Amino acid sequence: MTGNKIKVGFYSLTGCAGDFLNILNMEDKLLEVFKLLDVVEFALASSKVVHEKVDVAFIEGSVTTQKDLEVLKKIRENCNVLVALGNCAVWGGVQAELTGLDAKDLMKSVYNTTENYYSFLGEHKAVSEVVKVDYELPGCPIEVEEFLELLIDVIRGVIPEFKDYPVCVECKIREIPCLIVERGEACLGPITVGGCKARCPYYNAPCIGCRGPVKEEANVAGELSMLLEKGWKKQEVINRLRLFAARYKDIAKLLER
Amino acid sequence: MLKENFKDFFETLKKLGEVHAPVRRGRLFSFTKVDSPGEVALNYNRTMLPPKKYFVKPFEEVLKIKVGKGYELIVEEPKSLVLLGLHACDINALRVLDSVYLDEPQDDYYQVRRAAAIVIGVSCEPDEYCFCKSMGTDYAWTGFDLFLHELGTSYLVRVGSSRGESIIESMSNIIGEPTKEDFIKLRDLELKRSRMFKKILNTSLLPDIVDSLHESEVWVVFSDKCVSCGSCNLVCPTCRCYDVTEKVELNLQEGVRVRRWDSCFIRSHALVAGGLNFRPTRLDRFRHRYNCKSSIDPRTNLPFCVGCGRCSAFCPAGIDHVNVLNAIWGLA
Repeated sequence: MTGNKIKVGFYSLTGCAGDFLNILNMEDKLLEVFKLLDVVEFALASSKVVHEKVDVAFIEGSVTTQKDLEVLKKIRENCNVLVALGNCAVWGGVQAELTGLDAKDLMKSVYNTTENYYSFLGEHKAVSEVVKVDYELPGCPIEVEEFLELLIDVIRGVIPEFKDYPVCVECKIREIPCLIVERGEACLGPITVGGCKARCPYYNAPCIGCRGPVKEEANVAGELSMLLEKGWKKQEVINRLRLFAARYKDIAKLLER
Repeated sequence: MLKENFKDFFETLKKLGEVHAPVRRGRLFSFTKVDSPGEVALNYNRTMLPPKKYFVKPFEEVLKIKVGKGYELIVEEPKSLVLLGLHACDINALRVLDSVYLDEPQDDYYQVRRAAAIVIGVSCEPDEYCFCKSMGTDYAWTGFDLFLHELGTSYLVRVGSSRGESIIESMSNIIGEPTKEDFIKLRDLELKRSRMFKKILNTSLLPDIVDSLHESEVWVVFSDKCVSCGSCNLVCPTCRCYDVTEKVELNLQEGVRVRRWDSCFIRSHALVAGGLNFRPTRLDRFRHRYNCKSSIDPRTNLPFCVGCGRCSAFCPAGIDHVNVLNAIWGLA
């Protein structure tokens, strides 16, 4: 800590930077937020790169390249609290959908070369697969309201709330007609962690699981058999499940077969 | 009361408070504020959320926090509310909630809202999910102010409280005296309704049967299908668990304590200090819910389930409450 402020760094691995963009976009709150923070590095806001010790490190993006791996390990050594922000950092992101495919084939089909010129690790890992993570905030992108709650808790030394209820809870509270019951849609609301206030179902669009599964809890087999009963084909459901959560153990198992 | 007088009845109710009634939204119904009698859908099957949402709010701020200085109660000004069109099951469910929230120590937030609410029931016919008759909650004998029994072209108005009595006293131009024929019609329609129930649950000894057959394979089969979404808890008119959390402002000086509906299908529901979870698996939670719903409220002697059918109708996995218990009875 310097004065009343906590020292923080915002670090980007492989991703679209959408989580940090969302933070920078909360213009009405930024001045108040930065009163509480001494920001030593912020990937999207400044090109300054320092390797300073910080109280809290916020990380977005998946561990995709050798550089990601090295940077991440250094960050972990240099921080007290490490927070993974967004689906890429928490689950490996949409790029992790390619888990299991041959890295050389991918390189060939995209860049037409067999050379691994950006030291691709061959898979897109979640931050927690590489280093110890203290707190995770899911979302694609994160909800800034949740980010602020987490930030305030970390500053106050309170353990942030770990959301463990699915999107259905927020859907019911808003009395949104269930897209599975009423229309037989392949909605992932039952197994996807809430916090979005059921934004998509509210607009009549089934949940595609961008916030990732309810950790350790999501009943993937139950979701699959429920949707098969509604007339969906197994591959259709698997394609939907893998989009944001290919590295969740029960979904990874389905992809192996 | 002739149906053509319903409009005047409604306008009189509006003078007593904000009227909320079932309103059609697509294929579903929801208790919503209504301004004109035409919006009211008295001929409805069930709303997604039960009337409990008016008394225990899904999400509400209960305390103001001043960091380092303490707490201040958030006291709500009582607002007169007329809840029009409750079915007998929902009225009985409110009695269960009353026994929980008004018993010592009384929940002041609940009490203020409940005391300011006029409850007007309406008769109904069961659909494929209703099993209130099995639970003994198909008849509301107390817990309401007025109850409208539909008799074709008119409503027979049953009085359930002294407040209800004084309401109809002021409506002598709208509500006439019932005739002998009205009572015959009421009897015949009630008998007809009683014979319409398709969902039957054997409730004698039910709490003991559910508890003693703890190891039944039935729980495993259904809890495998269950996706732990918590919908059954949220739509249940007697589910009464809530969670409490605190939120602090960016100035780090002020905040609020919030209470929100909880669900026993969520991991943290049974997570206690030290990290112990006394219902660690979905199977434990599934069985727990059926145990809870099959038991009897010792204060009212009403069952904790009123047979409204919401949990079955709104379950994405298509798990039917009565089918599960019938499987426990060995009937499936």
